[in-house]
Amino acid sequence: MNKMEERLWNYIDGTCSEEEQKAIDMLIAQDEVYRRKYQELLGLSQEFAKMELDEPPMAFTYNVMEGIRAEIAQKPLKAGIDKRIIKGIAGFFILTIVLLVVYVLSTLKLGAASFDVSFSGHLSDSLKMPDLKNVFSGPVIKGFLYFDLVLGLFLFDAYLRKRKVSKQL
Amino acid sequence: MQSKLSDIELIEQTLAGNQAAYADLIKRHQRFVFTLAMRFSKNREDAEEIAQDCFIKAYRSLSSFQRQAKFSTWLYRIVYTTAMTFLRKRRVDTDSIDDDETYIQLENHPSGFDTNSVENKSRSYYLNQAIEQLLPDDAAIITMFYMGEQSLEEIAQALDMEANTVKVKLFRARQRLKEKLERNLKDEVKELI
Repeated sequence: MNKMEERLWNYIDGTCSEEEQKAIDMLIAQDEVYRRKYQELLGLSQEFAKMELDEPPMAFTYNVMEGIRAEIAQKPLKAGIDKRIIKGIAGFFILTIVLLVVYVLSTLKLGAASFDVSFSGHLSDSLKMPDLKNVFSGPVIKGFLYFDLVLGLFLFDAYLRKRKVSKQL
Repeated sequence: MQSKLSDIELIEQTLAGNQAAYADLIKRHQRFVFTLAMRFSKNREDAEEIAQDCFIKAYRSLSSFQRQAKFSTWLYRIVYTTAMTFLRKRRVDTDSIDDDETYIQLENHPSGFDTNSVENKSRSYYLNQAIEQLLPDDAAIITMFYMGEQSLEEIAQALDMEANTVKVKLFRARQRLKEKLERNLKDEVKELI
């Protein structure tokens, strides 16, 4: 009985082979038991297909969209910022710092006896540059390099911590 | 009024930042997702919670949706995993499919379902009543196959099973549903007498 039902369900679902299909066609035509069972299962299959879907509450879509909006609003600011912007700002500062350091080092005249900062480049008379001697005074450069050192150590520490965490995982 | 755009087009619009497109996608699939959630939870409040959670999860991971599969199949997979997590939390017994004892009982059960005997009451009423009595997995497979327009392969994909396993499970689920229908109809006749 069970084997017959299994074959008939496969036949109704269209999941049996062509050969099997022909064999069942013949059985339905010739065998009364098969034919009755086939009619019964076919009726059931048609009933199943007519089943109605449940209707969700009227405000279902609205509630889901509200949930999504709330989730977006709760997103931390850090996650909301495009990483490319952060990378761009970081790139700009790194480039500026490097250029500044290169420029300063190339124009510095370090004497053994005194720390003399003087600009050796030649500029056109029409181009009036601000007096860099005052801007790049010894304490300012020292302060700038100290800040860079602290920033570098801070980033290096963050990198090491991240590496440690990923290893633990 | 629902959008005439395909699921993929609506997904692309949603990913481009158009939230209204996602609302259209919800309207298109909400009835089936809700029905499927009902099959697992057996009550409207929980089904609503599961269905809402599914759509929010789907929105969150929409960018990871592979266009090779149907959106509905991908969505039903989310429904299945969400419902399972929900049921586990609620400690509802979901052991079902490989319940051999029930299967043996079914094998020897005389079959006498007569579709003409349900004329006095709505047929869908009896069917829904019988489906509610099924175990969640059985009800979900039958629902996906008959109402979700999913092939055996797609159901297998949604439930993370082999297509042949789904075929066997579908066969058993139909047997059980038939048995429930017969039992309910007998009870109805008794009540009338």
